[in-house]
Amino acid sequence: MQPRDTLTENLATHFADRSITFDEPRRFPLALRIGSVIAAWLVPGAGHLMLGKRGRALLFFLTIVGAFVIGLGLNGHLYWPAPDPAATFRVDLITVLWFFAQIGSGLCYVASFVLGLGTAPIPQAAASPTFEYGNTFMFLSGLLNYLVVHDAFDIAAGRKR
Amino acid sequence: MHVLMMSMYAALAAVVLAAVDPKSDTTRQRVVHGLKIFGSFLGIGLVLSWILFPIPW
Repeated sequence: MQPRDTLTENLATHFADRSITFDEPRRFPLALRIGSVIAAWLVPGAGHLMLGKRGRALLFFLTIVGAFVIGLGLNGHLYWPAPDPAATFRVDLITVLWFFAQIGSGLCYVASFVLGLGTAPIPQAAASPTFEYGNTFMFLSGLLNYLVVHDAFDIAAGRKR
Repeated sequence: MHVLMMSMYAALAAVVLAAVDPKSDTTRQRVVHGLKIFGSFLGIGLVLSWILFPIPW
């Protein structure tokens, strides 16, 4: 074994009282983990805000709520699983997928439904030339928020910064 | 109109996809990744439109 030389000894004592901290991912308490995931689904970006990621929270809120609002502005439609007695599962499966995509935006969907926005009957809504564009933006909003919810969970679980 | 909508869609998707990217550690990496996603959306969209344009059905 090589003995320490004088120079190393001197350096070691010089830096002895300095603690080195790394920006490592840390695991949050269980309640905060669950709370952040639910908050992230209800309000885009809220989960990241709870975890102290303010910049990303604002970014997600603006982009996801923005996409939903753009969709509503383009006469998008709020979908709900439509019954179809002739179908195998007694429900129109494509409307289930569309509903799943849109409900990902959480309270955006609920608030729009309560306020009666995007609830016009489909033949009337589809008369608008931007109907399909609007739907696509609303699907995008919900599906992106699912990613954001997953990201909030990863941060809360200590898997990423 | 369609290109404008496609650009808006690409921009919104790129921002979120870049921000949640687990491999990007710095803001610069995220911005570069987001620009790549945005460009890919637009580029692939335009190429597909040119390929599909001559098809009559």
